[in-house]
Amino acid sequence: MATAISMPKLGMTMEEGTVIHWPLEPGKAVEKGQVVLVIESEKAEVEIEAPASGIFRHIYIEEGDTVPCGTLLAAITETADEPFDVDAFHAAEERPEVKGDRGLRVKGDSDPKPGTTSSGTGARKPIAPAARAVARKLGLDPQQVAGTGPNGRVTKQDVEAYAKAREALIPVDRSVSLEVLTSGTGDPVVLLPGLGTDVSAFARQIPLLAERFRVHGVNPRGVGLSDSPSSESYDVAQMAADATATYPGSAHVIGASLGSAAALELALNHPERAKTLTLITPFVDVSPRLRALGDAWPRLAAQADPETLAATLMPWFFSTSFLADDAARARTLRGLAQTVARVPATTLDRMITGMLSWSNSRSTDLSRISVPTLVISASEDLLVPDSGLIAQAIPGATLLVVEGAGHAVALESPDLVNQAITAHLG
Amino acid sequence: MSRILSTGGAINEAIAIAMRTDPTVILMGEDVAGGGDRSKDGTEEMGGVLGTTRGLVGEFGMNRVRDTPIAEMGLIGTAVGAAATGLRPIAELMFMDFLGTSLDPLLNQASKLRYMFGGKVKVPLTVRTVSGAGMQAAAQHSQSLYWITTGIPGLKTIIPSNPVDAKGLLLAAIRDDDPVIFCEPKGILNQSTEVPEGDYEIPLGKANIVREGSDVSLVAFGATVRIAMKAAKALEGAGTSAEVVDLRSLSPLDEEAILTSLEKTGRMVIIDESTPRCSIARDIAAVCVDKGFDFLQAPVKCVTAPHTPVPFSEVLEQAFLPSAQDVLDSVGQMG
Repeated sequence: MATAISMPKLGMTMEEGTVIHWPLEPGKAVEKGQVVLVIESEKAEVEIEAPASGIFRHIYIEEGDTVPCGTLLAAITETADEPFDVDAFHAAEERPEVKGDRGLRVKGDSDPKPGTTSSGTGARKPIAPAARAVARKLGLDPQQVAGTGPNGRVTKQDVEAYAKAREALIPVDRSVSLEVLTSGTGDPVVLLPGLGTDVSAFARQIPLLAERFRVHGVNPRGVGLSDSPSSESYDVAQMAADATATYPGSAHVIGASLGSAAALELALNHPERAKTLTLITPFVDVSPRLRALGDAWPRLAAQADPETLAATLMPWFFSTSFLADDAARARTLRGLAQTVARVPATTLDRMITGMLSWSNSRSTDLSRISVPTLVISASEDLLVPDSGLIAQAIPGATLLVVEGAGHAVALESPDLVNQAITAHLG
Repeated sequence: MSRILSTGGAINEAIAIAMRTDPTVILMGEDVAGGGDRSKDGTEEMGGVLGTTRGLVGEFGMNRVRDTPIAEMGLIGTAVGAAATGLRPIAELMFMDFLGTSLDPLLNQASKLRYMFGGKVKVPLTVRTVSGAGMQAAAQHSQSLYWITTGIPGLKTIIPSNPVDAKGLLLAAIRDDDPVIFCEPKGILNQSTEVPEGDYEIPLGKANIVREGSDVSLVAFGATVRIAMKAAKALEGAGTSAEVVDLRSLSPLDEEAILTSLEKTGRMVIIDESTPRCSIARDIAAVCVDKGFDFLQAPVKCVTAPHTPVPFSEVLEQAFLPSAQDVLDSVGQMG
């Protein structure tokens, strides 16, 4: 690289200087700091030191000449034959602002901007810088953490508690862990909740099952503390594969609604992992009404608070007689609001995409199911009106039709449902 | 051995020790010896407007304890010159409010000479000055202007919070080879406590953790340390553990102590009795946000006086000064 020697500006009032003496011949080696030039300005002679080591070249201004400050006087190059670009030097001199700006780089501008990692849970919640730092260290998204500070601010302690809760997660593949709630001892029972809900949908079954079995309640991808890997779709077959990673050996598989679709996939793809199959309000194709609700649900989840969403869902999930009981309705609404709060709109979008692409893909495969199967159907089910037909298509399947119950039959009529499951599991 | 001394008494003792141990130490200022009121035997002299230096002229004589005219530019200019030419002067600037009339020797001479002469000149000058409000001395005699001297590179600015620190910090300041502005806050001048006898120094530039805590850091200095301690006690009653950091030195600033405390607690309140704009409080807040951002659990809070002149009315002056209640309110807003 070549270095220019130009007439320096040594004081605020110095406009020009005179070259008094060039002590070196061009072509000679020069050390940085060595005197290469003597100039005179404002009645004083000043020795100018070499700004770089190299070969002293190109004297442009002769001794005795007076030139303005900034005039190119000579050059130092690294080697004797390296060219020195006079035009480039002058170009840089004429546009000093460019020279000044050169080398300015915005560091890390390819990194994601702070606060742009989105989890799609609607409004952005405030996160304390300390919480953000801990989350970064632990590799967590702080937006996923429930905040206990003022205005719901996520504190450092919130992130630490979240991380601790997540330690209990079960890895189902290299980068995805699921929240699996376990209780009881005995043969494994795996519970697969439906669209937009979590394991709490089986709240009325778990205590009974836990008396005789080891219950594994699996929250699917994007639900509760389970990971939400970025994806267009959470496929039904993937849900089934995930479930098989959460229990040992062969299990009694119980699915509700979309969870029963996953249970069907599990029984078809991994028959050796299913001891029995219990399908609560199952379907193989998505009804127009369920499709329409699936259109509205994620939009509502993105814009409304959980209580509003739950209140809107209530009439779709429950029967006329259940809704007629105000006290039961209020109680259930509170529980449902907590449940839907654990399923962000992005998860709903992905699950619905998976559900719609799965729809109608297994209609002819039901006859291949070799596992003892119980189908529980509800007579007032608005979303899955024909689940009884599934029982006819599965060889040897038992059917229970709960009269006067809605889609959420496991919550609405736990006694009948539990009785049938108990009998089925043996 | 120790005995009860006021902050003023501790300062008097520090000056006497410095003058006994180093013959180049001199004291100069308006009425530091006593001016026209001094009796012949030197025991009835005034000792400065607040009597802080009373008795020194008796021991050290008129040659080393020198009254100056009421002309701060001349007083401080002379002191800077004396310091640059071999003495170790202590100049008393009666009130920090008079900084304006004495600023050039500090701003452009004392703080720059060592730098501009390549280390060949030193200016071992200490300017003692009474700062702050609380004595109903009105708007022109009550300001806390340490933010001005803190903002000048080359000056050190020290502010003790109690008699023990005042003595140790002043001895260190006098013996420091650079110019030091030593603030004597009105709020602590009459505060008394046991002060060790003898010669001891407290290093300049090191903060002091006066109370350990885990939930919130209260950074204070000078007269606000007492406010912070009072607030910490009240917070303890409410189940919040407050750490109190006494800066002792505004320049150099012990950033490490501040950030270490913030890392521990995640919450920061700075209590400063000066007005808020360009204040020490906001300067430290900027340090916390810049270098301690990842420690923050809540917004940094500054408890300062309002952006007004200091009122003369006692009621208004008390309302003007930061209080423990202000600190509690700030902590309450943090969550």
